[in-house]
Amino acid sequence: MEKILLGSWAVPFGEFSFKLDPLSLVFLIAITTLILCAGVYGFGYMRPYRGKKPLGMHAFFYLILALALVLIVTANNVILFLGAWEVMTLSTFFLIIFNDEKSPVRKAGFIYLIASHCATFFLFLMFFLMAHAAGSMDFDVMARSDFSPALAGTIFLLSLIGFGVKAGFLPTHIWLPYAHPEAPSHISAVLSGIVIKMGIYGICRVLWIMRVLPNWCGYVLLMIGVLSGIMGVLYALGQHELKKLLAYHSIENIGIIALGLGAGLLGRSHQVPFLAVLGFGGGLLHVLNHALFKGLLFLGAGSVIQKTHSGEMDHLGGLAKTLPVTSVLFMVGALSICGLPLFNGFIGEFIIYFGLFQGLLGLPLHGVIFCSLGILSLALMGALALACFSKVYGTIFLGKPRTGLKGSSHASLKEAGDLSGKSTAQESACREETSKWMLIPMMVLAGLCVWIGLVPRTVTGFTFFGGAYLAHVDLSTIPLEQVLMPLTMVIRMAFLFLALILGLIMIRRLLLGKAPMPIRETWSCGFAQVSSRFQYTSASFARLIVELMKNALLLRRHGGQVAGVFPGKTQLSSSVHDASEEMIFGPGLAFLNDFSKKLGHSRIRYTQIYLMYILLFLIFLLVWKLK
Amino acid sequence: MLSMTFPVLIHGAMVCLLSPFFLGVIAKVKAFFSGKVGPSILQPYFDLAKLFRKKCVYSGTATWIFRAAPVVILAVMLVLSLMVPFGRFKAPVQFSGDILLAVSLLALSRFFMILAALDTGSSFEGMGASREAFFSCLSELALFMNFITLALLTKSISLSQMIGADIPMSWEGLEPAVFLVVASFFIVLLAENCRIPVDDPETHLELTMIHEVMILDHSGVDLAYMLYAAAMKLFIFSGILVSIIIPVRTGDPVMDMAIFLGGMTGLSVLVGIVESSMARLRLNRVRLLLLVSFALAFFGLIVTLWRA
Repeated sequence: MEKILLGSWAVPFGEFSFKLDPLSLVFLIAITTLILCAGVYGFGYMRPYRGKKPLGMHAFFYLILALALVLIVTANNVILFLGAWEVMTLSTFFLIIFNDEKSPVRKAGFIYLIASHCATFFLFLMFFLMAHAAGSMDFDVMARSDFSPALAGTIFLLSLIGFGVKAGFLPTHIWLPYAHPEAPSHISAVLSGIVIKMGIYGICRVLWIMRVLPNWCGYVLLMIGVLSGIMGVLYALGQHELKKLLAYHSIENIGIIALGLGAGLLGRSHQVPFLAVLGFGGGLLHVLNHALFKGLLFLGAGSVIQKTHSGEMDHLGGLAKTLPVTSVLFMVGALSICGLPLFNGFIGEFIIYFGLFQGLLGLPLHGVIFCSLGILSLALMGALALACFSKVYGTIFLGKPRTGLKGSSHASLKEAGDLSGKSTAQESACREETSKWMLIPMMVLAGLCVWIGLVPRTVTGFTFFGGAYLAHVDLSTIPLEQVLMPLTMVIRMAFLFLALILGLIMIRRLLLGKAPMPIRETWSCGFAQVSSRFQYTSASFARLIVELMKNALLLRRHGGQVAGVFPGKTQLSSSVHDASEEMIFGPGLAFLNDFSKKLGHSRIRYTQIYLMYILLFLIFLLVWKLK
Repeated sequence: MLSMTFPVLIHGAMVCLLSPFFLGVIAKVKAFFSGKVGPSILQPYFDLAKLFRKKCVYSGTATWIFRAAPVVILAVMLVLSLMVPFGRFKAPVQFSGDILLAVSLLALSRFFMILAALDTGSSFEGMGASREAFFSCLSELALFMNFITLALLTKSISLSQMIGADIPMSWEGLEPAVFLVVASFFIVLLAENCRIPVDDPETHLELTMIHEVMILDHSGVDLAYMLYAAAMKLFIFSGILVSIIIPVRTGDPVMDMAIFLGGMTGLSVLVGIVESSMARLRLNRVRLLLLVSFALAFFGLIVTLWRA
């Protein structure tokens, strides 16, 4: 079931020890698939920068990142793990700040770096406690030792903070919406698809090491999942920038994963092994699925941005006509992330839902309440994600172009600012599909999404294996057929559905005949002078939901007031702001800043006095030790 | 094999053949309340037959999604028609967790409906799409709340187990949770099928509508697919509600079918009465109605947990 490889390494407490187990297997599959696809895509995406920027350095850090990711999920030793973790953080930082001549990019990079390092502090503390209690730095030795409930709880909370920042759990997610939009698109795909999953991996590893955790841990993880999921998708609905919206969706999906893991933990601590395997297995399956479809969506967003030089959704429109293949592939990603049948997102969510319904029937009363909460929030997340992605797809790919976004006039809007060549060349480029280097990786990812959606048994095998490994139960004792049989029925219905679609298309052909149908203008209720700017924008589409939640979302509107009998031109702008950034971290960091300034005033400017302090402290230590 | 296909065919054919009839019943009831004779009860069939003979007109803005949406939506309803029990008659397709597939198939049809509306680039259809996306968030929440209550009452997560055989037993003990579920589900039915307190299917002002405005640009066979799918959706939702409500099982198939169809007609009459007796709610109050539905379902859950 697991294999440990040892090597010699002259680092104190460190050991070159690797472990392959069902948990690292799931993550390794996600890593290799997405790193490969995003790498090939990056080859095409970075082509315009050739000769203008040091691309070799970018490729170097990309490969270093790949290595670090593989090391993280296979490391069996704390020192090795933390070393790989730091390498991952730093190489990601250099990948994010590719366009470092722009100040927002530098700001995003610094926020990422600071957030990551603050989190690493908690990791050091956590690993120290674990190693101290277990007497070893190796994960497999730690897993065999016992921890007192209080210590286990503390370690669990520390892991939630330390790994939660990387994963993007709710109050600590603020680096994601900065870093994802500013990084080149294939890097955003890797960031969202894999790097944040390393936080999930860390939490899974801790859950695996801590065989026995207090009961409240499951509830806490489940609640974090609910909170991150719902708030993530609500924030996403309020965004106007494509990649920022996708970044908030990553928070939602991390929430779904945490919900699954939380359900699994509930099952483990209440001795309901079926629920434990379903929860953990569903969460792990969603890790893999999210890597595939979010990677696909970010790569699709990259193609849109490369063609139009804008990620502002309200400037775009009608791209299904200029980017036909990309629009179909983006559709596959959108259908998957909404958890709709035929696609992989549905399979993962089905298993988590199934687990939660099992929890309803098997857990004590408070477990039932939390499981109902989980089911309801999954349903709400699903409905909101559907609203969000119909907004994204509808505004970007459908309808008419909202602004004349082609050529040099808007080229400065996004990352390819300095690349605007001659406007004629740009215009002809706008009519073409993306290059095949960028299309093929997207096709691979889209194909995998559909494959998992239609033949889920190829992946459910090892995700359930990983789930049973986390739950510390023998997989053969679990009545797994109870969930695999319905899954088979789901797939049968999916094929019936496809057959029905074919049949209905045939009937339609038969009824309509072969003659081409007349093409007219869209009906506009008799109004003749319709401009493409009359179309519903992404902001107006989401308005009803965002206004209902305006207190949680910090909705701000400017202008839009009509004055006088014959009102003139007026402007309206609305934006949604992140509450945890403006209400927790903003004031908190400002307070810290003030506090340290005050401390700074009180310092003494003579070196001699500091020397005296040191002497006094040494004397104190001496006395304390002698006593 | 024959024993497998026969119920599938019967079940599917019932939904296909009978679904427009209940729209006719609702129209007749509304005509009666406004003192008119009204169109024939078979008028929805005539309308569909007329549309199926017509060609389509497309907008120059629309893409393949506009053409695909009617097909997808009708296919979803056809699949769903095999998963819903009719009173005592269990669905031909039933498995543990089929409610999850049913709800996400409905979501799939909604996704394509919204995209087809946005595909035309019309601001009116954008409004309809936005409202549909918003209200369905709330109604889906209420729907799941009801499913949780029913799952707890029947210890099962298959639609045919939840609302088929076991619910009448709960009526015997007059389970109050079932009342709440029925009330809440009735509101969901009205909202999901765009009936009056939420949406007026007969208004001719594009600004105020939800469902009708989203299909404003569809014509001919495409429109026929959309309208047929809408009729089936009403039939499926009514079928679920009637299966919960029917208090008796006689054991005689003909008798049971008659009771079921009687219940369906009764429900259509009830919808017609609701539509005749009240006006459409103002748009910003619709969400309150849906929250009421959610609250009813929530109380249903509390009652269930308390009695368990």
